[in-house]
Amino acid sequence: MNLTLTHLFALLPLIIVGITVVVVMLSVACRRNHFLNATLSGCGLILALLSVFWVQCSDHGSQLPTLVSPMVAVDSYSLFYIGLILVAALACIVFAYAYFDRLKVHREEFYLLLLCSTLGAMVLVSAVHMASLFIGLELMSVPLYGMAAYIFKRQQSLEAGIKYLVLSAVASSFLLFGMALLFAAYGELGFAELGLKLVSVDYLDTWTIIGVGMMVIGLAFKLSVAPFHMWTSDVYEGAPAPVSAFLATVSKVAVFAVLVRFFILAPTFSVKLHTVIAVLAVLSMLTGNLLALRSHNIKRLLGYSSIAHLGYLLTAVVVLRSGVSDGAGELSESGQLVLEATGVYLVGYVLTSLGTFGVVALATHADSANRDTSELRGLAQRRPVLAVCMAFMLLSLAGIPLTAGFIGKFYVLALTVNGELWWLAASVIVGSAIGLYYYLRTIVELFLPTDDATVTAANGRGQALGALVVVIAAALTLWIGIFPEPIITMVNSALPVGL
Amino acid sequence: MIAQYWAVTVFVLATLALLAFMVGAASVLGGRSWGHEKNIPFESGILGAGSAHVRFSAKFYLVAMLFVIFDIEALYMFAWAVSVREVGWTGLIGAAIFIFILLAGLVFDARMGALDWVPKKSEHIADQARHESF
Repeated sequence: MNLTLTHLFALLPLIIVGITVVVVMLSVACRRNHFLNATLSGCGLILALLSVFWVQCSDHGSQLPTLVSPMVAVDSYSLFYIGLILVAALACIVFAYAYFDRLKVHREEFYLLLLCSTLGAMVLVSAVHMASLFIGLELMSVPLYGMAAYIFKRQQSLEAGIKYLVLSAVASSFLLFGMALLFAAYGELGFAELGLKLVSVDYLDTWTIIGVGMMVIGLAFKLSVAPFHMWTSDVYEGAPAPVSAFLATVSKVAVFAVLVRFFILAPTFSVKLHTVIAVLAVLSMLTGNLLALRSHNIKRLLGYSSIAHLGYLLTAVVVLRSGVSDGAGELSESGQLVLEATGVYLVGYVLTSLGTFGVVALATHADSANRDTSELRGLAQRRPVLAVCMAFMLLSLAGIPLTAGFIGKFYVLALTVNGELWWLAASVIVGSAIGLYYYLRTIVELFLPTDDATVTAANGRGQALGALVVVIAAALTLWIGIFPEPIITMVNSALPVGL
Repeated sequence: MIAQYWAVTVFVLATLALLAFMVGAASVLGGRSWGHEKNIPFESGILGAGSAHVRFSAKFYLVAMLFVIFDIEALYMFAWAVSVREVGWTGLIGAAIFIFILLAGLVFDARMGALDWVPKKSEHIADQARHESF
């Protein structure tokens, strides 16, 4: 297959991020300047974001979806998620600039790692082949080890890095074993080719179910779905706050998008497997919310809450058991609902996670080793704008109406009701009810008076820019909560290839 | 399975039993001699010098890692080399981009001091020592 200019054009966002990595690397080698390198990385990501719109708009329907190689497909689905990933990465760069500004370490390489990881996430959401899935996953995860352990003088950070390294390696081995089993059974590595073989067999043998199951386990590790969630709280707590934000948004979005794509292109229609996924979903909703009840550290709490949110999202994968096409190659009603729910929920989740972790990154100092909810205590006195945004984001995470979180949760409930999955619906409701308690408790903490008089007012352009990003995220959350039409139209036009 | 290969099974079990008997009986019946010299690791009759826990400079690992990275990246050039006529100009451009990225990495490593064998601090100390000796 020849690589023509059309293919290169479709790959433009990936190419731009790749070029940015090299440019930033040379610029760091030339001159160590925190502001310059952060700006360069940010500009690269903005350019990539603009190119996403360009690719999306320039050839509407005629060229897209482009199968660039048997491995990478640039369709409207991947472009939508690439855009989401780029926005999240951009916000993380702003938070990282504010967070590392006063740190006396080599700060510039952080942006290199972040850009590499973003590139991996972009490959991952465009993957239609096991090989590109694995390459994308590794390219995304390997820089994350370094990012989690970036402040290596702080023991917690180092521990977070090593924990993530070991558990990611375990996850990768599960994933590879699953792929090998599927390859042994069907001799195909492409999702669509595998799907064709899977559809043509009458009876799924045990090896197929084990293979797909092991792949799900590998991806569930990355999504930190219970019972594979053990690393989450420690890594979220130990890693620098911008890295936690990156983990909670970019890596989760990318892995979830590829999981949904895999199940769309290679549907298994196996009741057993989807029952297992439903159990995972219920477990992570309950475990995440119950563990968050007992934690008083804000990063730990947000980590547990992300487990619960991925549990809500997994309902979409459970519903995928009936497939997304209605047999005539058209999108079925339930299939459309799944894609809509995934997209809308992920947009809301990314915005709120960026907001909450952003506030944590901005409000706490990089050199303070121990950060508790009590450190955010009295935030309303010191930084009223941040406190109001944080409170609003927490309400969105809890799923209160007029927020993006509510729209997402509404979609999830609609999914479960439409699929007649009553157990899932019940646990979504129970989970949300438990969640409300600790979100509200954290909000109360924000507005309590503080007795800590030694708090210094943070200033500087990093802080101001970070606050601006948080405010934008809060405004978008509110806007989507009141007027979700545009985002729903956007998600609806983002169809994966093969439909 | 066991019924099929019963002879092999009996042989394996008998061997294990014999070994267990030999070791067990020797440990029960035999004497035991203790001595200070007996606790020294046996190195072909030569007394060991120093501890086995030698601390290598972290530089060794860094250089080894860089070597492996660039070595493996050079391997990709073989794939281009065997198909250089078939892939033509496109291949040349691709290979040039690849080599350029490698070069950028090398420049980065050199500027970061990953290739300097002596760390900055001890170089400074060595300079001072040289000045004092004059």
